[in-house]
Amino acid sequence: MVDEATQVSAFGAAAVHALCITGLTAADCFSGRGALVSDPAHALRLLVVFEAPLVIAVFSLLRRDPKRCSFLKAAARGLLGLPVGALLNAFGAIVLGAPVGIKYWTATTYWSLLMSLFTFVPAACVFGASKVNWQNVLSHSNYCRPTNAVDYMISAPAHGAVIGAWLGAWPMPLDWERTWQEWPICVTYGSVAGYLIGMAISLLLIVVTRKRRDRAKAD
Amino acid sequence: MAAAASPPTGAAVAGWTMVSVLLQVVGLCMFLYGFFPVKPTLPGFSGVESYRMPSCGSAGGGEEPALPPDQLRSLYRELSEVPPVYDRLVLMVIDGLPAEFVLGRDGKPPSKEMLESMPYTQSLLTGCKAAGYHAKAAPPTVTMPRLKAMVSGAIGGFLDVAFNFNTQAFLDDNLLDQLHMIGYKLVMLGDETWIKLFPTLFCRQDGVSSFYVKDTVEVDFNVSRHLEHELAAKDWNVLVLHYLGLDHVGHIGGRQSVLMPQKLKEMDDVIRRVHNAVSNLQDNLDKTLLVVVSDHGMTEGGNHGGSSCEETDSLALFIGHSVESSYCSPYDQNEALQVDLAPTLSLLFGTPIPKNNIGVLLPELFNSLTDDQKLRTFELNSLQFLRLLQAQLPAFCIEDCIDSKNGLGIDIFPGSVEKKLCHLLSEAFDSHHSSRLHQRSNFKSIEAGYYGNAVNAYNEFLRYASEWLSHRATNKPFYLLVSAISLMIISCLFLMGIVYCLFKGKSLSQVEHHSEWNLDKHWHLDEVFIIMGIFLYVISLGSSSFVEEEQYTWHYLTSTLYLIFLIKTTQSVLKESNSAAVGTERNVFYANNCSYVTSCKLIPSKRDGYKLCTVLFILISGRIIRAWHQGGVNWVHFSDISKSLAQADSSIVKALQLISVLAVVLLYSVSLLLLRPRKMNILIVWLSHLFCGILVVLHIWQSQINTSLPAEHSTTSIAQIFFVITSISVTFTFVASPWIFPIHSMEAESTSSGSNPKTAIHLQGINHSMFLTGITYAAFWCLLQLLLQQPINAIPLLLIFLQMISSIIHFSTDTSLHKKWVQIVAMQFLGLSGHFGLGNTNSLASIDVAGAFIGISSYSTVLSGILMFIITYGSPLLLYLGMVVYSSIISSDGISTTEQLKWSCILDKMITLPCLLPLLVNSIALTSYTIVLLFMRNHLFVWSVFSPKYLYVCAATVCTYAGVFVLAVTAVYIVIVLSFRMRNYRDKSI
Ligand SMILES: [Zn+2]
Ligand SMILES: [Zn+2]
Repeated sequence: MVDEATQVSAFGAAAVHALCITGLTAADCFSGRGALVSDPAHALRLLVVFEAPLVIAVFSLLRRDPKRCSFLKAAARGLLGLPVGALLNAFGAIVLGAPVGIKYWTATTYWSLLMSLFTFVPAACVFGASKVNWQNVLSHSNYCRPTNAVDYMISAPAHGAVIGAWLGAWPMPLDWERTWQEWPICVTYGSVAGYLIGMAISLLLIVVTRKRRDRAKAD
Repeated sequence: MAAAASPPTGAAVAGWTMVSVLLQVVGLCMFLYGFFPVKPTLPGFSGVESYRMPSCGSAGGGEEPALPPDQLRSLYRELSEVPPVYDRLVLMVIDGLPAEFVLGRDGKPPSKEMLESMPYTQSLLTGCKAAGYHAKAAPPTVTMPRLKAMVSGAIGGFLDVAFNFNTQAFLDDNLLDQLHMIGYKLVMLGDETWIKLFPTLFCRQDGVSSFYVKDTVEVDFNVSRHLEHELAAKDWNVLVLHYLGLDHVGHIGGRQSVLMPQKLKEMDDVIRRVHNAVSNLQDNLDKTLLVVVSDHGMTEGGNHGGSSCEETDSLALFIGHSVESSYCSPYDQNEALQVDLAPTLSLLFGTPIPKNNIGVLLPELFNSLTDDQKLRTFELNSLQFLRLLQAQLPAFCIEDCIDSKNGLGIDIFPGSVEKKLCHLLSEAFDSHHSSRLHQRSNFKSIEAGYYGNAVNAYNEFLRYASEWLSHRATNKPFYLLVSAISLMIISCLFLMGIVYCLFKGKSLSQVEHHSEWNLDKHWHLDEVFIIMGIFLYVISLGSSSFVEEEQYTWHYLTSTLYLIFLIKTTQSVLKESNSAAVGTERNVFYANNCSYVTSCKLIPSKRDGYKLCTVLFILISGRIIRAWHQGGVNWVHFSDISKSLAQADSSIVKALQLISVLAVVLLYSVSLLLLRPRKMNILIVWLSHLFCGILVVLHIWQSQINTSLPAEHSTTSIAQIFFVITSISVTFTFVASPWIFPIHSMEAESTSSGSNPKTAIHLQGINHSMFLTGITYAAFWCLLQLLLQQPINAIPLLLIFLQMISSIIHFSTDTSLHKKWVQIVAMQFLGLSGHFGLGNTNSLASIDVAGAFIGISSYSTVLSGILMFIITYGSPLLLYLGMVVYSSIISSDGISTTEQLKWSCILDKMITLPCLLPLLVNSIALTSYTIVLLFMRNHLFVWSVFSPKYLYVCAATVCTYAGVFVLAVTAVYIVIVLSFRMRNYRDKSI
C-alpha cells in the first residue's frame, strides 16, 4: 500500500496535534473569557477562522499520495470539504433535535463548520475521493488492527469530537437555567473536550503500534 | 438439531417467559399495594361525641339516636359553647383561578391589568372587608378531588385521586352533609361535578357540563342567569356557585389569554352582585358569609393537574362581618391550606368538623368571638384531630399523656411521633386551662398573655398534627417494597438469562451451519449503542428533570440509533461499490430473502437507494414529530408546530386530518396490492377499511360542525359504527388469513429458486398470512387513532405509521446489515419516542380525557378507561402491531436447511425475539424505575413527578404485555392452522 510514503512519527503527530490545539487556544484567548457563553456565534466564528487554515495546511501536508497530488490540490479538497462536512454535521445535529429557529442559524452554521474541521476536513485533505479510506475511517474496526498513523490522527479526534458533542447535549433539557445549556454552547464544549481526548488517544495508539511493530521487526 | 448445545426449545423459552412475566406482575402488584396505600378513612359522620374529649381505647363513639334537624342544631350550639358566626353561606367556586390574580405574589399586589379587571374585589380587599389566602391545593390539581378536599378537609391517597376519573357520590363525612343534617337548605348552580358528588343534597340545582372546554361564555351564563332569582329567594342557607369559564379560558389561551381580563371582570361582577344582595339584607338578622375559592390554579399555559406552585396556588377569599377590621395589609402572602376551609366553615356554622379533616381553622375568621370562645374553637379542632390520631395510632391516648407529664416530668426531646404529639397536645390543653383560670383576673395584660400562649400552643399542635396526618398517606411498608422489587429483579434476570441463552445457542448453531457468519462475531456500533443507551436512560430516570423531559431522551436515543443505521448503510453501500465481486455473491444471497414489501427483482443500486432513503425519511419525520409537541414540563411554553397550528385556521387542521386518513387508506391498499389479491376476502377487508376511513372523515366533518352544540348523537353513532366494523373486520382477518392463501401455488414454485420447494411453500403461506394480518391490524389501528386522538395529532400519527413501514422496508432490503435484535429494539424505540410525539408527558395533566368519551353514549368507567389507554399508548401499540408485519419478513431469514423446517422451529424464529426483547426492555425500565422510586420515596417531588411517571411505567408494562400477546397469539394461530392444512394436503396427495 501507499502508507510507507506518509508515515508519521509519534513526535510528528504530537506536533500536528499541538498546532491544532494552538489554533483553538489562540481563538479562545482572542475572543476573551466566557465569550462562548455570552456570544456563542462570535466565539465560534473566531474558532473556525483560527482553526481552519491550520487544519487544512497541516493535513494537506500529510496527504495520502504526495506524488500525484500537489499540496494546493489537497488544500482545495479541504476547502471544498469544509462546507460539505458542515452540511453533514448540521444535518446530524438538527435531526438529533438542534433548534431550527432563525435566531439559531448563525450559531448552528459556525458550530457545524467547526465540527467539519474536527471531523470531515482532515479526512478530505488526506484521502480525497478514495472510497476505501473513507470506509476505513467511518468504521471503528481500524482501532483493532494495526493501521497507518495518519488514520489514527484523523479518526480518533473525529470520533472523539462526535461522541463528546453527543454527550455534551445531555444537560440541555435540564432545568438548571444556566446560559451554557443553550444550543450550541455545551455541545461545543463537549466536542472540543472529545476532540482533545481523541488526540491523546491517537498519540497513545501511535506509540503503542510503533512499539508493537518494532518488536515484531526485532523478532 | 443437536440438543445439548442447541438453543433452548421453544416450549422452554415460552415457559420461562411466562414465569418471569408472572413474577413481574406479582412484584408490581405488591409494590403498588405497598407504595400507594389506600388511606384508611374513618367511616360515618361526626356527631355530638365530637364535642367531648375522646376516651382512650375506643376510637369510635357510641351511636346516638338521630335527632330532627332543628333539635340537632340547638344541641350542637349548646355543646359547642360557641354561637354560630354566620347563618348563610355563599360558596362561589371559580374554577382554575390562581390566587396570584387576586392577591398578588410574595407580598406584591397583582399586576395593574389584574387590579383593573377586578375593581370591586380589590376595593373589598383594600377596604379590609375581605380576608384572602393563598390556599395551597394538594396534587393532583384536578377539579373533583379538590372539591372533595374542600368540603371534607381530607386529602385522598394518590391512587384514589389519580384513578378517580369517575365521579361517584361522596360518602365520607363532609361539610355539606353536616349542614344538610342541621336542616340547612342547599342550592347548587354550576359544574355538575357537585351533583355527581352529592346527588340528593340540593333542593335546587342546575348543573353545567365541563365537557366542552372550548365554550367560555355559555357555561357561566348558565350559572349567572339564575343569580337574580336565587339572590331574591330567601329559602336557602347555602348557595354553591361553580363557574367553569375561567378554567376554559385558561385551557384555550393560558394565563395571558386575551379573554382573561374580560372573564375576571365578569367574575368580579358576580361577586359584586352577590355581595350587594347579601349586605343589603340589613333588616334581616341572618348573617351571610361569601366565600370565593378556586379549586386549583393553572400553569402559564393554562393547564393543571400537576403540583407546580402555579397550579397549587388556589384562592380562598372570605367576605363577611367577622373578617372586617380597621387595619389590614391585603397583599401580604397569607398562606393556608385548601383543606383549612372545612374546619373553618364547620366552626363558623356550628356543625361538627368532618371526621377525616386534616385542616386547621383560620383564626382570622373568628375575630367577632370572645377570647374564650376562640380558644374553644381551637379545642374543638384539636379534639377532632385527636380522634383521627387515635384511629391512626391505636396506642395514642391523651390521658396517658397527661399522666406521664404529671408523673415523671416532661420529655424535653420527645423521640417518637406519639410523644411529640402528646407533648404538644397536653401543653395546649394546659395553657388553655390556665387561660381559663385567669379569665376573671383583673389584669387585662395577664389575661391576654395567657390567651396568646394558649393560641400558640394550639397552633403548634394543630399544624404539627396536620402535617403528620397528611404525610401519613405516604407511610410505606419498607420490607414489602423491597421484596416486591426483588421479585421484579429476579424476573428481569430471568428474561436476560433467556435472551443470553438464545444468543449463545444461536451463535453456536451459526458456527455450525454458516461458517461465513463468523466474521460478524464482534460487536457492532449499533449494538453497543443500544446497550449503552438503555443504560443512560436508566440513569436519567434518577433525575426529576429528565423524568419531566423524557421526550428529549427518547428522541435523542432513537435518532442517534437511526443515524448509526445511516452510517452503517452508507458504509455498506461504499463497501459494495468498492468490491463488485462481493456484491454479485451477495445478490444470490438476497434472492432467497425476498419479501413482498420490496420486490425481489431490485437491482443493487435501487436497493441501496431504498436503504438510504428509508433511514433518511425516518430521521426527518422523527425530527418533525419532535417539533410537533414541545411537551415536558419546564419548556412547555416554547413554540411548537401544534401551537402555531392551533392559532391558525381550524380548516388547516381538518385538512391535515383528511390527508392522514387518505394516506392511511392508500398505504393499506398498496400493501394489499403487493399480496396480489385474487381473493374475495381481501377485497372485503379492503372495502371495510375504506368504509371505516370514510366514517372517520364523516366524524371529523361532524365534529367540525358541532363544536358548540352539546348534543352530538350523530358523531357518537358514527363512532359506534366504526368500532363495530373495525372489530368485525380485524377479527375476520385474523381468523381467515391462514385459510385464504394457497399452500401450494405456482408462484411459490417459481420463487423458490431451486433450493427446496417445500420450504418456500410453507414459508410463503405463513409470511403472507402474517403480513396480511399485521398490516390489517396496523391500518385499522391507525384509523382508530385518527378517530380518537386530538385533531392536531393526525400528522404525527401518520408519520409514526410511515416510520414503522419505512423501518420494515429498510430492515427487509438488507436483512444482514443489522442484527435481528437490533432491528426489534429499534422499532420499540420508535414507538416510545412516538409516544411522546403524540403530546404525552409524564404528568397526568396531558392525558386526553375528552377523547375517552368518543362513541360512548352512557358513562362507563371501564370503556372510557380502555379508550384512554388506547389514545395514550397509540404509538407503542402501533409499533407492536408493526412487529407482526415485521415477523413475516424475518421468518424466512436463516432457514435454509430442511432439518430446521419444523413448525415449532419456524414459530421460534418468527416470534421468540420480537416477543422477548420488548418484554426485556420494558422489564429493565420498570425494574430500574421501581428502584428509583423506592430511593426517591422521601423526595420533594415524589407525588408530583415520580409517582405519576410510575403510573405511566405501569401502563407501559400493560401495553407491552398487550402487544406481545397479540403478536404471539397471531403467530401461533397462523402457524397451527397452516401446519394443519399442510398435513391434510400431504395426506391427500399420498
Ligand atoms: Zn377545576
Ligand atoms: Zn381545567
